[in-house]
Amino acid sequence: MRRFADVTGAVWWRSIHNFLTNPAFFLPSIIFPLFFFTAFAGGLSSVGDVPGFDFPAGYTAFQFCFVLLQASAFGGVFTGFGIASDFESGFARRMMLAAPNRLAILAGYLLVALTRAAIVITVLTVVALIAGMEVTGGPLDLFGMLLLAAILSLTATLFAAGVAFRTRTIQAGPAMQMPVFLVLFLAPVYVPVELLSGWVEAVAQVNPVTPLIEAARGLISGDAIDGLLAYGIGAGLLVVFAAWAVSGLRRAEAAGG
Amino acid sequence: MSTSHRDNGIEVEGLVREFKKGPRAVDGIDFAVAPGEIYGFLGPNGAGKSTTVLMLTTLLPPTAGTARVAGHDIVAGAAEVRASIGVALQDAALDPLLTGSEHMRLQTALQGVPKADRKRRGMELIERVGLADAADRKVGGYSGGMKRRLDLALALVHGPRLLFLDEPTTGLDPSSRSDLWDEVARLAREDGTTVFLTTQYLEEADVLADRVGIIDAGRIVAEGTPEALKAQIGRPALEIVPADIAQRDAAAEVLARFGEAAPAPPNAAAVRLTGGNDALAEVVRSLDAEGVRIADFQLHAPSLDDVFLAKTGKKLGGEDETGEHAAVAETPPAGPAGEREPVGSGSPR
Repeated sequence: MRRFADVTGAVWWRSIHNFLTNPAFFLPSIIFPLFFFTAFAGGLSSVGDVPGFDFPAGYTAFQFCFVLLQASAFGGVFTGFGIASDFESGFARRMMLAAPNRLAILAGYLLVALTRAAIVITVLTVVALIAGMEVTGGPLDLFGMLLLAAILSLTATLFAAGVAFRTRTIQAGPAMQMPVFLVLFLAPVYVPVELLSGWVEAVAQVNPVTPLIEAARGLISGDAIDGLLAYGIGAGLLVVFAAWAVSGLRRAEAAGG
Repeated sequence: MSTSHRDNGIEVEGLVREFKKGPRAVDGIDFAVAPGEIYGFLGPNGAGKSTTVLMLTTLLPPTAGTARVAGHDIVAGAAEVRASIGVALQDAALDPLLTGSEHMRLQTALQGVPKADRKRRGMELIERVGLADAADRKVGGYSGGMKRRLDLALALVHGPRLLFLDEPTTGLDPSSRSDLWDEVARLAREDGTTVFLTTQYLEEADVLADRVGIIDAGRIVAEGTPEALKAQIGRPALEIVPADIAQRDAAAEVLARFGEAAPAPPNAAAVRLTGGNDALAEVVRSLDAEGVRIADFQLHAPSLDDVFLAKTGKKLGGEDETGEHAAVAETPPAGPAGEREPVGSGSPR
């Protein structure tokens, strides 16, 4: 167990060290969510005035929840880029040669994604509060919202890791990013699902991310949520994509790293 | 081959690696490396050297066969194998964004070196490979030689009993190569570390290795000490460059009296002397008697190049000895085709 923690910690330390000491990695991770938040919550704020849009915490909080989950998920995708890059450069072999149990490497990358998400969420929250975001949910609600962000971050990381382990090249970046991008933007981004119509509404209704986004919005405003549905789907996504990532890791091992 | 438990050695039996829709990269090899030995694994590009290293270091599962490294099976005891070995692969996998000392910090953590010892161990090795002055510089700015030395230091952080070096000096300048040789030799001599070294450089194997295995097309075609392998070739080769190219055939006819013809550049003739060096004076007298004027001549003692050519029919650069390039190659002439085993015929042991 100590060796598992050693490897996980080492993988985490290297990625976070590089993330924090290289503006080329750090700044885009911060700027993009802030840009989305500003564009959505600021530029589209009048969407909150449309008839039927009833969100007690206001449009800024409404959009904050989406950007929070989006940033968490994209942090996972970017972590997948790092995994693919490590395989392409051969650095992954260094880790695979040292790890008694190679699941520790995957665990390290998951920890990286969570840390990145935590950093981005902190900055985003500070900016949102300065911008006048209202939070009407209680501390437990906010914890629940952050838990949803963590689940989505881990899910996206596991998905991207599965792709990275299978392809072992950074050229697979679009294959990691595009599905996550689509599933997020085919959820109710700008208005509640009840105000959507046509095919967008149909897709949003079956989109597994929709209940997570709606739950996060309910939590920040202190509304009742369908927790069983949201966390149940979250747990299901984690299980499915954990299996995807672990089987990908086994493939990478069989291919020689 | 003995199957006895060796804590510090390597035992390989019938090891095979087959890639999908491809040839057998490694085709049933057997060999053993004794504890504390430096074993040179020679072969041209694509011969199966690196695939063998990947299997022995547990990075690639074998298709068939077994191997024990440091006393552990490479499949059933893969984690134990990894804990016992240090590995520097062909391309030094370093993070250009980390400094040398940060690499040491990372590797000591990956290898589970106790926290209290990590910094001291890292600095000790950085100094040992001569990188103390560059320890705080990002590796992206290191030269090829510095990267190789750092890679070697990283492979040693956990005090491995067995070291795998996959073409450690490829692309290095002569000075860096020599420094690395010294360090590898020191590791084996002073620390008793077993070293498995793959290389394309025959000189490297000659200088460093206690024993050499030659792999070609996935099979080991020769194995032994460098001296024993060279002794198999036995006789020296004499190469004559006539002053007049028109006398090349006449020179070859004279040389044919003293042994078997050996490959030579187009402007020269060569023979592997049946009578050894003693025949040299008589060769010169005969050439003089036939009126062949000599512009240059060279006597080549058998080298590992000759061994390689004799065993594989190829130069280590990959050229066939019958090819034009081989005929003008700077390497010494080697034994005649009759002494060679066909490619992939298996070990002559």
